[in-house]
Parts: sequence; C-alpha cells; structure tokens
Amino acid sequence: MRIQVKLFAFFRKGRFIKEDRELPEGSTAGEVVDSLDIDREEVGVLMCNSRHCGFDTILQDGDIYAIFPVIGGG
Amino acid sequence: MADQEAILASLKKEAEEGCISLEAAIIIGRSFSCSLRTVERISLNNSILPLRYQRNGLSCEQQLTLFKSTVSIIGCGGLGGRCAELLARLGVGRIILTDPDHFSESNLNRQLFCSSSSPGCRKVDVVAEGLQEINPTLETVRHSKHFDSESVQTADVVIDGLDSIPARKELSALCRSCSIPMVHGAVKDWYGRVGIDFSANHLTETTSRQTARTTPPPHVLPMTVSLIASLQVAETCKLILNSGTPLDRGWLQCDLLTADFDIINEDGN
Repeated sequence: MRIQVKLFAFFRKGRFIKEDRELPEGSTAGEVVDSLDIDREEVGVLMCNSRHCGFDTILQDGDIYAIFPVIGGG
Repeated sequence: MADQEAILASLKKEAEEGCISLEAAIIIGRSFSCSLRTVERISLNNSILPLRYQRNGLSCEQQLTLFKSTVSIIGCGGLGGRCAELLARLGVGRIILTDPDHFSESNLNRQLFCSSSSPGCRKVDVVAEGLQEINPTLETVRHSKHFDSESVQTADVVIDGLDSIPARKELSALCRSCSIPMVHGAVKDWYGRVGIDFSANHLTETTSRQTARTTPPPHVLPMTVSLIASLQVAETCKLILNSGTPLDRGWLQCDLLTADFDIINEDGN
C-alpha cells in the first residue's frame, strides 16, 4: 500500500517535508516513525488524515500521515 | 460628575482633529487631581482618541473595548514579555502578569524586557515597569508566583507564555474551568505553534503530549518568539474585539527555516 508522510519542524532536517512511501499491509504509525529513525519520545502529535492517532494506529492505503515534534518552549 | 463634565470640556478644548495628546491628558489630570487613567476613560467614552492609538486605525469604540479589557499573561519571559509589550501598545487597559522567575543572562537572546542590567530582577517587576513606560494609563497586576485562579479569574483572555508541558496542561484546565479562552503559543529553534484553547476543544491536551524524558530548556531563536507572540496578540485582539476569524479549529504551525505556515485543522475538514 502507498501512504503519504508529512513531517513538521525539525523532523524535516536531513529527511523530507513530504514523501510517498510504499508499506506492507498492516503497518502501524509507530513503525513509520521508527523507520524514519525518529525517536518516539520526541513525537508530540501524530495525525492520520487530519485526525489524531497513536503509534498503534494501522495505516490504510492512501492515508496521509503527519508527524509533529514536541514544541514546548516559551 | 461635575468634574467629569469639566474634564470632558478640557479634553474637547485640547483635542486636535479628534485626538488628545498624552501631554495634554497629563496636564488635564493634574489640574483636576485625577489619574491619567480616569482622563483616558472619559476621553474614550466621548470619542476622543488618545493620539498614541491613532495609528492603530481602530475606532474609538474598539479602543474603549480594549481599554476596558483584562488580559492575563502567564509566564513573562520570551512569549509573555513580547505579548505584554504589544498589548500595552495596542491599548489593552489591564494586564495581569504572573511569573515566579527572575531574569538570567541566558534570557538575553530573546526576552524583550531582559537587558544587561536585569539578571537577578523579578520578571514581573521589570516587565510591569517597562509596560508603564510604554503606556502610562495601563493598569498592571503582578503575581511573582506560580499561577493560580487569582491570576486568571478576572481576565477576558489568558495568554500562555509557559515553557513546560505539565504547566501548560494545568493552565489549560484552569482556563477551561473558568470558561476563559487561552491563547496558546509554543516555540523551539525556528519552529512555533499558535492556537486557541477553548473549553469546547482540547488543543493543549492533543498537542502537548507528555513524554517520559526530562529534556533541558529548548533552544529558541528571538525571531521565532517575536512571530509567535505577535500571532498570539493578534488572536487575543480579535477575541476581545469579536472581529475576524479566530484560529480555533486547530493550530498554526510555523517553520521559519522553510518559510512554511500550515493551518492544521483537527476535525478532518
């Protein structure tokens, strides 16, 4: 299946802003995070098709998946 | 009442093209032994615009609404200090400042009211004194402590200038319990986020995931702080004046490194 991954803020550094990815059926959001070598502890928000999701969410063909880092400074 | 009429008569006499200068207002206040704040209230109530608001381009009625409003700023460092300055220039009448901290040298890169002589001074004191220099009719309330209901309960809008996720969640819950909108802002490096946390949505809850790891204070660039604080004040001003479209369906994600500004809607639309 094919999904689109969007990265935000410093997750883009050395990676990409937006990329299509071919994944085996049943892949989870957390597996995509891991495959990008993103530390799960640095993830602030995960969204699938503009809805909040979790690391365990199973992605479907055509999903748009967005990963945002924790931003907490003031 | 007689004094009010006499003050108004003086204001009308001294006004030029519908505006009254600060200097004239000070002289009127002295001659009637009343505060500059009282003079400003009478002036705005009678459609005489204080000259320093002329370039805001807002109506006298809108300036009066701002003058009558209270904004509570929680955290008076980078975001909070810049927001305070902008609100004072805009003409908000009362600002509550809450921050238990003192300035330190590492604040100098981004905190507006931090100068080379401020390390060691209480943030609320330095900010309140700076605001008074900008807008002498502003009423400031200082709380040099962790925020509590006293910090927010009289506010029309609360601004989140905090730098920790647990504190931000606590403030969001407090504002929700008082039904006061909280204008959220957060920054790191070149990146920032702005949104409005209403009792109806759960912006802070959904965007401020608590991670297990304790991290050191984040790096923050001064232009990121200025941008996010400006956006927070724009949202605050719109809420007070009930104008424009509030940023309330999600949040604005800013990436200054790639010059990307994305509105992230949370409802699937």
